[in-house]
Amino acid sequence: MGKWLARLTALGVALVLAAPVTAAQAADPATTGKKTVRIGSIQSVDSMNPFLAVRLIAGQLQRWTYMFLTAPDPKTLKPGPDLAESWESSDDGLTWTFKIRQAKWSDGQPVTAHDAAWTFNKIMTDDAAKTGNGPAVENFETVTATDDRTLVIKTKAPQASMLSNPIPIVPKHIWEKVGDMATFENETYPAVTNGAYIPIEHKKDNYVKLKANPDYWQGKPKIDELQVIFYENPEAAIAGLKKGDIDLIGRLAAPQFEAGAGDPNIVQWNTPGRRAAYLQINHGATTSDDKEIGDGHPALKDPKVRQAIHHAIDKQALVDQVQNGLAVPANGSIVPPMYTDFFWEATGADKISFDLAKANQILDEAGYKKGDDGVRTMPDGKRKLEMRFSIHTDTPTEDKLAQFLTGWFKEIGITLTTRKLDSNKFTEETGSTALFDIAISGWSVNPDPEEVLATHLCSRRPTPTGEGGGTESFYCDKQYEDLYQSQLKELDATKRADMIKQMQQRLYTDAPVIAIYYPNNLELYRKDRITSITPIPAGKQGEGILYGGASGYPMITLDAPAVATGASAEGGGSNTGMIIGIAAAAVVVLGVGGFLLSRRRKTTSDERE
Amino acid sequence: MATPLETEPAAVQTAAGPGEDRPAYRGTLRYALTKLGGALLSIGMVIVATFFLFRLIPGDPVIAYTRDVPLSPDQIELLRRQMGLDKPLMQQFADFVLRTLQFDLGTSYEYKRPVTDLIGERVGPTLLLTGVGLFIAVSLGLWQGTRAAWHHGGRLDRFSTGVSLVLWSVPTFWLGLLLLMVLGAGIGPIPGLFPTRGMESVDAPDGFGYVLDVAHHMVLPCLTLVAVVYAQYLLVMRSSLLDEIGQDYVTTARAKGLRDDMVRRRHAIPNALLPTVTLVFIHIGFVVGGAVSVETVYSWPGLGLLFYEAIKGPDFAVMQGTFMVVCVAVIIMNTLADVAYHVLDPRVRSA
Amino acid sequence: MSAVTWARRRSALARFWQQYRRQRAGVVGAVVLLVFVVLAVITPLITDRTGMDVTKATGDKMAPPSLEFLLGTDESGRSILLMILWGSRVSLLIGFLSALLSMVIGTVVGIAAGHFRGWASATLMRITDWFLVLPSLVLALVLSAILGGSTSTIILAIGITSWASTARLIRAQTLAVEARPYIERSKALGAGHWHVMTRHVLPNVAPLVLANTTLQVASAIVAESTLAFLGADSGQASWGQLLRGSYDWGAATAGAWWYILAPGLCIVAVVLAFTLCGRAMEAVLNPRLRGVSR
Repeated sequence: MGKWLARLTALGVALVLAAPVTAAQAADPATTGKKTVRIGSIQSVDSMNPFLAVRLIAGQLQRWTYMFLTAPDPKTLKPGPDLAESWESSDDGLTWTFKIRQAKWSDGQPVTAHDAAWTFNKIMTDDAAKTGNGPAVENFETVTATDDRTLVIKTKAPQASMLSNPIPIVPKHIWEKVGDMATFENETYPAVTNGAYIPIEHKKDNYVKLKANPDYWQGKPKIDELQVIFYENPEAAIAGLKKGDIDLIGRLAAPQFEAGAGDPNIVQWNTPGRRAAYLQINHGATTSDDKEIGDGHPALKDPKVRQAIHHAIDKQALVDQVQNGLAVPANGSIVPPMYTDFFWEATGADKISFDLAKANQILDEAGYKKGDDGVRTMPDGKRKLEMRFSIHTDTPTEDKLAQFLTGWFKEIGITLTTRKLDSNKFTEETGSTALFDIAISGWSVNPDPEEVLATHLCSRRPTPTGEGGGTESFYCDKQYEDLYQSQLKELDATKRADMIKQMQQRLYTDAPVIAIYYPNNLELYRKDRITSITPIPAGKQGEGILYGGASGYPMITLDAPAVATGASAEGGGSNTGMIIGIAAAAVVVLGVGGFLLSRRRKTTSDERE
Repeated sequence: MATPLETEPAAVQTAAGPGEDRPAYRGTLRYALTKLGGALLSIGMVIVATFFLFRLIPGDPVIAYTRDVPLSPDQIELLRRQMGLDKPLMQQFADFVLRTLQFDLGTSYEYKRPVTDLIGERVGPTLLLTGVGLFIAVSLGLWQGTRAAWHHGGRLDRFSTGVSLVLWSVPTFWLGLLLLMVLGAGIGPIPGLFPTRGMESVDAPDGFGYVLDVAHHMVLPCLTLVAVVYAQYLLVMRSSLLDEIGQDYVTTARAKGLRDDMVRRRHAIPNALLPTVTLVFIHIGFVVGGAVSVETVYSWPGLGLLFYEAIKGPDFAVMQGTFMVVCVAVIIMNTLADVAYHVLDPRVRSA
Repeated sequence: MSAVTWARRRSALARFWQQYRRQRAGVVGAVVLLVFVVLAVITPLITDRTGMDVTKATGDKMAPPSLEFLLGTDESGRSILLMILWGSRVSLLIGFLSALLSMVIGTVVGIAAGHFRGWASATLMRITDWFLVLPSLVLALVLSAILGGSTSTIILAIGITSWASTARLIRAQTLAVEARPYIERSKALGAGHWHVMTRHVLPNVAPLVLANTTLQVASAIVAESTLAFLGADSGQASWGQLLRGSYDWGAATAGAWWYILAPGLCIVAVVLAFTLCGRAMEAVLNPRLRGVSR
């Protein structure tokens, strides 16, 4: 057996040493003179079918490969033209007329208003097609194409967010052949799209390759190929970036972002984020018919207690410790400062600052007496202020946040125990059954905040039978409700923004939710590989984001040097560690051979389909 | 998760050893049929256990499915019907068994695709990784175990047993992370020598280049898996060989003047090999457990990673599908090993 | 029990200790274990728990080892040494309790399956085989995902998935013991099942059960850390949790080797110590293995 192993080992050495060389040689002719950019993602694509996909990465791919009715203007993020060159709405705000751009699908067919009409009608009529973007057409009455260039949408009620529609328009002549939308994977390549890029290959859970669309209406992108590479392990993704396996990665957590520091080739792109993180407080949850539901702590019904809790949160410390300083402490509510038009923050006397003494004083005055163990009891002496804090499993930042809150709350006589729930249970307990006291929450806000504002409406509360309606707070407040209805009908942008600010103020003072911070959008890219990229919004330096926004503009503006790609980075100095892997590699080769055979068979059967 | 090392030979011996309540007149075929029946029963138990285990989950899958997407009650009701969650429990169970027997494992909440398809895509990489890993681990374990037993008590024995015990004590994921950081990402002046993720490069060439590329990606995951699992094979081989050496026939053979080498190769090793190889199959579940950690650390697109993602989701349909497939695969392997053992080992057959 | 029995037990124990002492690795393992257990027990006496409170942490983030923090600090400036000391209590507790659970199930099932005949034994063995074969980590992950994360769930998940090999071993041992003539005699004298099992079989298999449990603790500690890493955590600061923390907070990319190595090496040391002890005990107790090591 010894001799046999030795022979294998020798073979392995030879093969492994040869590997990078052959790989580089094989790759060379293909990549020379070609501009390729590789984007890393710590999430794989759930579906290439835009009617089904819900993950962020899938949404991004849609932004890069399809046209939308409108797209945010890269400078202002206000709705700008995309598939629709121009539009107008009727005086009652119920009828919208869009003029469709003259463009071509990547198979040469013309893009018409019928494609758009078919896409919207499909979602309105086929339940399976609702999975991805169902709510976006909920308010649509009819969608019709009056001719090739004109699309008319009639809505049931005025809809201010009409121009931020998140639905990619698909080619009717391809998609009308699809039988069952629920199982259609849309894995034919090259795909037929009309955006800046065209998907040419997708290896599930591995990568997606896109090539530049020469006929794109804003002009062909400067690079030839855009690749998205999936990582399961964020640490490995950062290692990949440092090695040059990927060129850009977005949506990072603070520790990974900081790992990019000190590398001369890596740019740390730290910009205001579109997410608000807040605490959801069970202030006496009710169902949509105003019956009490759940088991929230009675003390939390008292606005004084909620206020005291607000005083016991050191938002700056949370930013420093939980987000490594890469966030903005929230003195406002659910709309992050990135959206200057709608952002509101408390100033002067309204502002609630970290003050444990003040918190203790409020609770003392309200009659919650501290016991010998330092824990307060209700004024009637019946129940201690022992509360649960619900967070998700597998979220280190929430875990850390819980540790801090527990520490501070102890100082004001409230015992906090952390409950980690998987997202199923979490969503149910904090969204419909109300089996919580305080819970972590957050929302990524779109340029138009209507969606997030709606999550605090009375109608969003669970039904009497306990079905969730999508509430983020079980909130039901007359003043808030009235403001919401008025902003919905208000077509004057400034007045509407003002109403939205008032709504946030109401949330801040009444505290059904307490905003903690607005995490920054953290991204890293290699400046030796990406020579230019324009963020959105493109206005001020260092403000816009590159990946994950509501527009694919940054990826359209990418430029890269035309050289052989990062694979060659592995080429040099392969000798030292090789020795360690040699024994393994030797036999690995044998196995791969077998696997390849089975793979061969699989590919042929795929082609047959 | 491992089962304690040293109890295994005993467990194997009682599992198939003589002196059980199995009368001698039963032939091999009869034995195989009994085992097959047992395996079918076990698979049945897996299916039943899976169903009821996964009904224990508190929480509403529909709500989870639609998280962060505000839906109207009507839409939620619709989804519930689509998922078949509105039926009574016993009917859900009957549906479940029926569908499972037709290899329909439901639809993933996350991918909106049949779980069977997802598993089908992931089986290849896992088989490749565990197959190669197991092969190396077994070869290495048997080889080192034989040498250790033959030089029993010597420096080599102490060294190899020591090393394997230390490696066995290392949590798989920790070793994986260390290797990833040192050999994958590179540390200090040492550059990263191996890929940090996945099974193939984006620009992987075709043909032989592809084989090399996959092999290159496989080195670290394989190394991690082997390091952690080979110890048990080494220890078991060592102790069963020691057992054989203690037997009279070896002493006799040596007394007859046969060369040590010959005695070892012709007599002791083949006899000691059998219980060890059976053990390989009985404890294949352990390797599967290791694969979950390894695939997670190295983003290896196999069943283990699918399972881990399903737990993180949580995507219960995928979780229960993967769970069932893995369990059934392990049971089948086991039964095959059991029957093979029976056929191969003359001592068991004649008992 | 009579004085004679006690004297016999005592001398058996003394004999065991004498033989155990000859197993050098076993002694080393026992010493290492003793150190860890003593440290875990006296941790509340020698350290202050408030250092574990993130709002009271005094150190810098991820500071390297220094005189103030011998093993450096974590992402919130807490002392890693302190976390390891308190973590040892959780890890050892989970290890011991789940091994205990596994031992109880395994022993009861093993003795019952060995003592009784017919369908009862067959059913028990079928269930045992089922558990023996199933990938225990996968099953434990499913269990903890379904039952939710807490210390007791983790103990339950590990205990339930790891008893099968114990049951196998105990059954074989029970069969051997019950084949002895004096059991036959005692049965003839009218001893019931309960009497035979508790008075004759149990004392005879007990030492082996103990050795086996020692090995089980080792795998339970590894299992706990793996579960913690894969996201099924106990909510307590165990060693596995510490490692998970080092992973979550990017200790590797930040170069905080102390954060990654210290808890990992502790796990390796304790698991190895338990394994060495268990092996040494088995070598002394199990006649089959003893015969081998002459």
